[in-house]
Amino acid sequence: MRNSSLFFLYLSTGVFFLGLLLMHASFSAKAQQESLGEKSALVKALKLTDLCLFTEARYTRHLSQADLNTAFQDHPLSLEHFPSGSFTQPPERIIDRP
Amino acid sequence: MRNWIEKQRYIIDFTISSLLRRKVKNFGLLALYTLIVFILASTMFFTYAIKKEASLILKGAPEIVVQKIVAGRHDLFPVSYIETIKNIRGVASVESRLWGYYYDSLVSANYTLLTPPSSDAAKPSAKTTVVESESGGKPAKPLYELNGAVLEPGTLIIGNGIARLRNIGKDDYMPFRAFDGKVMNFRIAGVLSSQSELVSSDLMLITGEDFRKLFGIDQSHVTDLTVAVNNPSEVEMVASKIKKHLPDARPIIRDEILRTYDSIFNWRGGMMIVIFSAAVLAFVIFAWDKASGLSAGERREIGILKAVGWETSDVIQMKFWEGAVVSLTAFFSGVILAYVHVFFTGSIVFEPALKGWSSLYPNFELTPFVNLEQLTTLFFLTVVPYTVATIVPIWRAATIDPDSAMRFTGE
Amino acid sequence: MIELVNVKKVFNAGNPSEFSALNSVNLRIAENQVTVLKGPSGSGKTTLLSIVGCMSRPSAGRVKLQGREITSLPERFLTDIRRKTFGFIFQQPNLIKGISVLDNVMLPAYPLGEKRSHLKIKAMNGLSELNIANKAASKVEWLSGGEAQRASIVRALINDPHIIIADEPTAHLDTKLSYRFMEIIEKFKAEGKTVIITSHDPLVYESSMVDRVVNLRDGQIEG
Repeated sequence: MRNSSLFFLYLSTGVFFLGLLLMHASFSAKAQQESLGEKSALVKALKLTDLCLFTEARYTRHLSQADLNTAFQDHPLSLEHFPSGSFTQPPERIIDRP
Repeated sequence: MRNWIEKQRYIIDFTISSLLRRKVKNFGLLALYTLIVFILASTMFFTYAIKKEASLILKGAPEIVVQKIVAGRHDLFPVSYIETIKNIRGVASVESRLWGYYYDSLVSANYTLLTPPSSDAAKPSAKTTVVESESGGKPAKPLYELNGAVLEPGTLIIGNGIARLRNIGKDDYMPFRAFDGKVMNFRIAGVLSSQSELVSSDLMLITGEDFRKLFGIDQSHVTDLTVAVNNPSEVEMVASKIKKHLPDARPIIRDEILRTYDSIFNWRGGMMIVIFSAAVLAFVIFAWDKASGLSAGERREIGILKAVGWETSDVIQMKFWEGAVVSLTAFFSGVILAYVHVFFTGSIVFEPALKGWSSLYPNFELTPFVNLEQLTTLFFLTVVPYTVATIVPIWRAATIDPDSAMRFTGE
Repeated sequence: MIELVNVKKVFNAGNPSEFSALNSVNLRIAENQVTVLKGPSGSGKTTLLSIVGCMSRPSAGRVKLQGREITSLPERFLTDIRRKTFGFIFQQPNLIKGISVLDNVMLPAYPLGEKRSHLKIKAMNGLSELNIANKAASKVEWLSGGEAQRASIVRALINDPHIIIADEPTAHLDTKLSYRFMEIIEKFKAEGKTVIITSHDPLVYESSMVDRVVNLRDGQIEG
């Protein structure tokens, strides 16, 4: 088979698959309403405020509840919890509000 | 038109043959290129999906959370403050929360213990105050129910992450060390679903009475409060009133909670800058390598092409396709792999980075939310610079007149 | 049919290393004839050939192709004319390594975007006429000197040119292959083509099928 035909075949397969995946995304987004609903319901019922992403420290587990000092409360030197700490920034209100 | 298409096909044929002549180098380049696209695309998919989920799920978070601050630290909240807040105009209801952390040295994991609020959402009209009701006897309505299992004193309902980590399930027993050193044995009444791990992975639902016994918190204190307001647009105002009436209290409004998760995994965050910069640097290196000139062999080849009748524009088109073939292949492979990686395997490659120090790590079954804008940006970032960089050094070589080409090659 | 009027070619103009390759050349090359440009190295043969074949432009003077003036045509038109009218055979075969003989032979036709099936037939015909059809799929590195030269001839012919131009074609060929080459030239002549060759090989310029020999010395035509 000609090289260029191979390339176009690859390209069209790629586009096709990508299209397929994007369709999967939009279908799943609807299908996963149930799972999203379950999580939303839990949040409402238990009055949760944060996603459970990084469980190693208070200020990484409850991002929105943390303040500037929380990090220091864990250790006098405030040894950064890496890399979780580097994924997140302190909540806006601490930076913005006086 | 047909001629033009056929011409492009010929040029692509020739370009690919050219690339295949140095298989190892070019496949290596392609692999590396694909890897970088893979990492960038995975990062994009992951962070966007989490942010989107957060914005949807946390819509039901409490409107205002009120904490007490002592010497800059989050302290226990006196129940007596509740009346003050209840009396503020605009407040619909006030509820106390009992929650805290327990460190399990066996698996070096932190659990979040939480007492489920005992009432349903407050009715907007009535001003109600609800404080944890315990003290002997079962409450009339179960505190929390999961698939028929009821949360009662002496039991816990745990998140799926804990069940995974400790390898325990329903009806198993789990000992805890209370604040006074005594051991409390709890029976697992149920396990929360794995689908909800994003919010519940490390949760342990416990009755108020058990909570107080475990942590030694007396009846006059709770962890913090949640406040519901009559009019959602007045939230800010109510929050500032709370602050005025109780100077050592700190209100956190729902909007701030949502915005926190908007900026998570932000490009300005430390780790993300590292990833992003590394990727950009790699692209620059690729492009530089291509742009920094031709080998003697390539020059000779262009000379031959010009001598047999190719125009300058034909040579440039060939070089364009050389860049485009590599970058397009890398783009599609990288993005497709990234999608599969994030949404079908739960971002398995990122696990070490995301896990960090924690032992308890949620199961990232994310809903596939895709941001087409980001995808388009990635496309242009991937394909355009490299293709352009491949063309740039050709300019000089492609414009040599055939005569020089003939002399040069016909030595 | 090809006319050069007062053609001069200067290289590196304005520099200390400036030198004049051609000085006031007036030449008429007839159609359907084999013309040989003869002269020692440095006489300007290759330069003259290159101007005749529209591969470079003169510094001064005029060039006419079948009555039409082509001296100051833009590159694109010149290239187009060159592609359709001339077929070049170089000293070295100058085939592109790493791709097959067939691909090499079809290369000059790529920019024209002709249908591949047609092109392939033309190419295979050309190859079989010169008895190397069996090497069509081989990589060029595997060809012998003579085979490579023949492949480059087929390449020169792929666009059915009217005028064949060869620059020292026998320089790297042994006697037997040189005779074979001249036989091919005879065939071209019989097909009605015009052939222009530069050579200082007596085997070429003393050949019976050569119609005219032009002597060059120091950038000028003698006699």
